[in-house]
Amino acid sequence: MNSKTEAKPSLLFSKNENLLKNLAAKAGEYLLFLVASLSVFAVLFIFYFIIRDAVLFIHDHGFSTVFSSSSWYPTGHPPAYGALSIFYGSLMVTIGACIVAIPLGVSAAVALSDILPFSWRQVFKPIIELLASIPSVAYGFFALVVFAPILQNHGGGLLEIGVWFIGLPLSAILAVILGISASSKIGCQKQEYLFSGAIFVCLVIILYFFGSYVGNITISSGTNAFNVSIILGIMALPTIVSVAEDALQAAGKELREGSYGLGATRAETIIKVILPAASSGICAGVILGIMRALGETMVVWMAAGNAAKIPEPFYNFFSPVRTLTATIAGEMGETARGTDHYSVLFLLAACLLLFSFICNMLSEWVMKRNREKLRGER
Amino acid sequence: MNIKSRNIINHSFTSFSIFAVLLMVLSLIALLGPIIIKGANAYIFNATIEHKKVLMSLFERGSKASLERETLETNEARNKLYTVMTDFETELKDLVDNDPERGYALDSDYDEFKTSVKKLLGPKPGSKDPVMMRDKFGATRWDKATELLQSLTTIKDWDYSSGMGVEVSKPRKDLYVGTKLETAFNDYLTTDYLKKMMDPGWTFYYGFLTDSSFDAHFFGGVWPEVLGTIYLTFGSMLLAIPAGIIAAIYLVEYAGDTKLISFIRSCIGTLAGVPSVVFGLFGLACFLTEGSWFRISDSPSIAAGCATLALLVLPTIIRATEEAIRAVPNSYREGSVGLGATKWECISKIIIPSALPGILTGIVISMGRAAGETAPIIFTAAVSVGKAIKLGDIFSQPTPALPWNIYNLCTEHQEVDQIRYVQYGMVFTLVAIVLVLNLSAIYLRARVSKNLRG
Repeated sequence: MNSKTEAKPSLLFSKNENLLKNLAAKAGEYLLFLVASLSVFAVLFIFYFIIRDAVLFIHDHGFSTVFSSSSWYPTGHPPAYGALSIFYGSLMVTIGACIVAIPLGVSAAVALSDILPFSWRQVFKPIIELLASIPSVAYGFFALVVFAPILQNHGGGLLEIGVWFIGLPLSAILAVILGISASSKIGCQKQEYLFSGAIFVCLVIILYFFGSYVGNITISSGTNAFNVSIILGIMALPTIVSVAEDALQAAGKELREGSYGLGATRAETIIKVILPAASSGICAGVILGIMRALGETMVVWMAAGNAAKIPEPFYNFFSPVRTLTATIAGEMGETARGTDHYSVLFLLAACLLLFSFICNMLSEWVMKRNREKLRGER
Repeated sequence: MNIKSRNIINHSFTSFSIFAVLLMVLSLIALLGPIIIKGANAYIFNATIEHKKVLMSLFERGSKASLERETLETNEARNKLYTVMTDFETELKDLVDNDPERGYALDSDYDEFKTSVKKLLGPKPGSKDPVMMRDKFGATRWDKATELLQSLTTIKDWDYSSGMGVEVSKPRKDLYVGTKLETAFNDYLTTDYLKKMMDPGWTFYYGFLTDSSFDAHFFGGVWPEVLGTIYLTFGSMLLAIPAGIIAAIYLVEYAGDTKLISFIRSCIGTLAGVPSVVFGLFGLACFLTEGSWFRISDSPSIAAGCATLALLVLPTIIRATEEAIRAVPNSYREGSVGLGATKWECISKIIIPSALPGILTGIVISMGRAAGETAPIIFTAAVSVGKAIKLGDIFSQPTPALPWNIYNLCTEHQEVDQIRYVQYGMVFTLVAIVLVLNLSAIYLRARVSKNLRG
């Protein structure tokens, strides 16, 4: 290596060799640029190929047929292409996944960034990575073969346990706090246990009635929106946790120290100072998690029940639904190229693509703003 | 609010956060537990003599002499049952003539009984060879055999006495009281005697991984699917690794902070966010459709699947490589340029080698992703039933692949419940492949961060 790289005295283009070398370097750089812009071409071609076929359908039938009715009989005579119920199914499982994933994901991120000691973090982070790496078809298999039968046979009992599991600690905390504040307001500090006990008993009675109401629900089919929402929520968790945790870490030590210095507890510091400071990063994580849930195919195809109708009542999570992704995956194999059915599936894919594109831009914009904000603060 | 309630809120907040983390761990255990336990059961199980017969006749594996000896022993035990059954058949004929009501009732039930015996023990020696391969052998697994024994000794019926239909099972023996078959229920249809007829023993069936499947996965293993997954994974990596690493090198080492570069970056982000099923449609429209500029083949093929998967994992590889290259300290670059290295020499001899573990981590993670993705290969590369593909056919032939066949077996197979253990075994195999890849990535990363810390 030494003999090759002996320093040449002149920096000028006095010799052809140098000029050639320089040209070669420029050409090489250009080549690298071409390879780097492969992703650009890939994105453009994806948009082109998906939208090309989608436009065919719009050209023939117009937008309104797809978005105005919810009767989806693409192989019927005459065929009907109303995809409203399919869009609603996607919306439903995405919202369900958010309900599961956002509170758990953000609190897990808080625990990893602020609460657990460093050595524990080293253990939990790989576990979260493993959770993210498990193939979606394995999640789908679990949802269909393990979770759905449990839900179908013991659904009510399971829900009742869930209600008690969430409700009991919540009502205990609520009772204690209300009892303390009520007794201090009245001025008889010594009776706070009495107050707390009374409130707790009331809450438990409410909980009992609610629990027995929920326990009597019979779930007719284990493959439904509820099942899929939980599984999708778990699948979206790792994304939300890792992005939100990065955002929380980036919020900086100074904010935390300032808040502690003013006498705030850890919960107050996190809720009132750190979470607002990291809100945009957390939003980006949530958006990415939503994208994961919305774009997921195998779980919803296997375990959502695939019924193309809007549940009744519309918030009934125990009825089977069908999503955009499941429709595309399930029906594409049976259509011939050039038919209306083929192009309407491309239209659904185009909607999916457009939505994920918008989400992606949004999360990128949020992240960028976050970075600028942090740079401004320092 | 006073101090007390603030403290309570603080503690409950802390415990909820820790609970959320624990819940993730628990969900991982809940997910992997059944898959690993029941999936391992496809490899290690209590096998009957029928399993050895399957191995011998389909793969010529095992010792012929000992199999013959064991077959003789079990046949001796089985023959006793068969003799009772033939005796009963002649008795049944008489019964149909003399007491038609009871005779026909027994006759229809006996048909069911006979089919169950056939399922349990295989075709009777000396009878005609069945057409379907699944009928040629009896129960290969002991758990299936005991299940069949259960269905032999009990009749499932519906009890409507309480208004609602309740499933009840009653002993089949009661139906045959006073006939010659009654002795069979007493002496031969017991677990102890079944052991003599089936000769069960624990085996490790490594062939589940390396054997091809027979008769819609009733027998044999999952080798075609595993091979298909290997092809798809390595093929997509072959395409994605060079492109990804070069793109990352350009973005870190050459690109400035221009509008064009930030456009490229947001395109990479967009590519990472495209739903996987849309990749599948794109692959179908771009690589497999007549008149497209990038047409690879007419029908789904491994190559088309690889190209689709390569685009899917490209952003992951680019981002991981970028991160790894950025982690190389600037002093390395300064040192090598100071020694007179050109930029390319600096990159190829200093930066890439020191970023290599980080790059490898990214590659290994994307391999796991490519192996497990289903939606992109549904229309581009996958087929439900197929043989192992030869290397020469990758441009023209679709292949079975683990993720797709898991879906296929547990939703579209004719007898889903009969082959649960195959489904579990497949999921176990896929998850094992992905987990091994990811665990090695985690190990690699731990080593890298240790090295960087010094």
